[in-house]
Amino acid sequence: MALNRKIAYIDLTTGDVQTESIPLAVRKKFIGGRGLDAYLLYNHTKKGCDPLGPDNALIISGGILTATCASATARTHIMAKSPLTGMLGSANMGGFFAPELAWAGFHHLVIKGKAKNPSYIYIHNGEIEIRDARNIWGQSVTDAQWAIRQELGDEEVKSCVIGPAGENLVRFANVMTGVKNAAGRTGMGCVMGSKNLKAVSVRGTMDIEIARPMEALEYNKRFIDQITSAKVSQTQGTLGTPFIWGATNSWGGVRTRNFQYNQCEYSDDIEPERIDEICEETMGPYHMTGCFGCQVHCRAQYKIPEGPFAGKYEEGPEYTSLGAFGAETDTPRALTVLVGNHLVNQFGMDNLEVGSLISWAMELYELGIITDKQTDGLDLSWGNDDAVIEMIERIAYRKGWLGDVLADGGIPASKKIGKKSFDYLVQVKGMSNLHSDERATPALALNVATASRGSDHLRSRPAIDLYHLPEEVLRKIYSNPVAYDGPLSSEHTEYIGKPWQVFWQENLYMGVDCLGICKYHTVFLGVTLPSFEEWSKVLLYNTGIEMTPEEIWDAARRCNMLERLFNLREGLKRNDLEKGDMLNHRYFDEPCRRGAVDVVGTMIDKKKFIKMVDELYEHQGLDKNGVPTPETLESLGLKNEPSHLL
Amino acid sequence: MATETKGQSTAESLRKKRTYGKFRCHNPSCMERIQPGKGEKTAKCPTCGMEYRVHWVNPTLPRIRGPVWDVNRKLADAKLKEKGVL
Repeated sequence: MALNRKIAYIDLTTGDVQTESIPLAVRKKFIGGRGLDAYLLYNHTKKGCDPLGPDNALIISGGILTATCASATARTHIMAKSPLTGMLGSANMGGFFAPELAWAGFHHLVIKGKAKNPSYIYIHNGEIEIRDARNIWGQSVTDAQWAIRQELGDEEVKSCVIGPAGENLVRFANVMTGVKNAAGRTGMGCVMGSKNLKAVSVRGTMDIEIARPMEALEYNKRFIDQITSAKVSQTQGTLGTPFIWGATNSWGGVRTRNFQYNQCEYSDDIEPERIDEICEETMGPYHMTGCFGCQVHCRAQYKIPEGPFAGKYEEGPEYTSLGAFGAETDTPRALTVLVGNHLVNQFGMDNLEVGSLISWAMELYELGIITDKQTDGLDLSWGNDDAVIEMIERIAYRKGWLGDVLADGGIPASKKIGKKSFDYLVQVKGMSNLHSDERATPALALNVATASRGSDHLRSRPAIDLYHLPEEVLRKIYSNPVAYDGPLSSEHTEYIGKPWQVFWQENLYMGVDCLGICKYHTVFLGVTLPSFEEWSKVLLYNTGIEMTPEEIWDAARRCNMLERLFNLREGLKRNDLEKGDMLNHRYFDEPCRRGAVDVVGTMIDKKKFIKMVDELYEHQGLDKNGVPTPETLESLGLKNEPSHLL
Repeated sequence: MATETKGQSTAESLRKKRTYGKFRCHNPSCMERIQPGKGEKTAKCPTCGMEYRVHWVNPTLPRIRGPVWDVNRKLADAKLKEKGVL
């Protein structure tokens, strides 16, 4: 049964390993994946713990549905206190690791302590050992994975690894699996590096018994039909996530030159169709691939076509690499994007954070806030492709003054750079914003400001708000599984009704993260994709757990509230520009200058924005300061947290 | 409340409203449905005048590849001037 997958507690200091079952009552409260991780993190760390100290808990998990008959259950979730933000650290990636972990007998790993020497953990059919990794320390992401396979004599071993960036404690280092699957936000790779942990490797052949196999398979056919028939899935499967960047750039919703412009004009060389052509030229026409159990296949494969890295195999580039190494830095050239994407993947570093920080440094260079002295002579002018590539390496290896300073993340860097550098840093809770520009989209701005792990598009973004769906369609979506009769607006420049959409999406995304399913298989980009109603059945048929759509919604709310409690414990304050639910002043002061005619001149109205935050807090059951009321905690069954049930 | 009418979930029932062969104008306050001629490489919004380059994902599924940059820039500059944004 999926439900007999266990939790393993691993202490790298002592070498002690303990395993424990997950009681059904706990499952029903927190389900699994990210939700149960939030419970474990809140219970296994203390207020103010050092993110890079041995007491920080690094939690690695699959969802409750991982490796069952359900589609697209490939997601691996990683959680710890973040060394980038000092608050919630949480990152999610696709690939093949989580199913292998489930086949090896586990759903959650809680790793504490610090190994004396570089080490890796090997898990094989219920057995766990800590092994020497001194000979693979220093290796790139893909080399390290192959070295482990070779050492273990098994090509089917799947690993979560860190690259040089994690070893060098770059605060936004990734945990990676495969070539480009990246748990790439909030610096989970840095936490691994601080524990001297190079990798977690798994191999499993333990069957997972399905509760109602025939019904599970039959229902999954319907699920697959929903996914593959959606236009958005068909486009994803042809062009990958760059199609989202292309569409967003088309109307003026991407950040360019840090935050100076909202459209990268004449960017034909990095448009998704161009990237697709390059992939076809280097890999042939069938260059799209996918994660475990996925029907979308949104991941492109390519070889770098020319230059010093010519012939290197890589995957992607995703939306974020187009933004990071194309638009943000005003270098809209395919080769820069492809090479930049390759380097961050091999170094194991968050492309989004890297691109944002380089473009921030470029703006500071333009303004004279940093000079050639700080850059060690590197010309950081906009559009300098070589400088972008050079800075990626300098950050990963902490080379030079600027590389070392940026490797600590934006807020610490702004304190070292001084002057007015912080004013130009586009971040929330210490994490850089996605390379999209939300000045024309209040709902998306609200999402970015209030997301639990810092500025983020995958925690509560109502992306379908951009589709101008008729109100009756919106109401149908947003009134399930709980009734909502408040205002909703089809106009995405509006402020009314948006807090409910953000609240609904927040619970939807938590739900999908608990199940272990990819967000491209739910109401993220496509309105006709599966949601709470479908999940209730998938859960029942695969695991035997009976949960109504409303109960899944309640569990998602509970898990989101736990993340909130963690952040409040670590210092979240509503309007704090460093640790709060607040946006950089540029959202309110600087109008959009490019894009579709009705986007030009728009910016966020601060008064209306504050009202939206008030309303969102009300939906969430928080008071005006963003703190949960006693009634909310009581109703969610969180009054006695931390409860130490696990 | 969660409802399943005639064995369909909310998401499944919404599929009936799907349109093929068209896309929406990217000008957010316009969002007019535009139907490019089969295989056409550009399309102009009949309502707001924005012009787009068209990519065909498959023979029945067109998408906007991007704006016709010069037309787009001209319209944006005029709007900037009208709004008094420097």
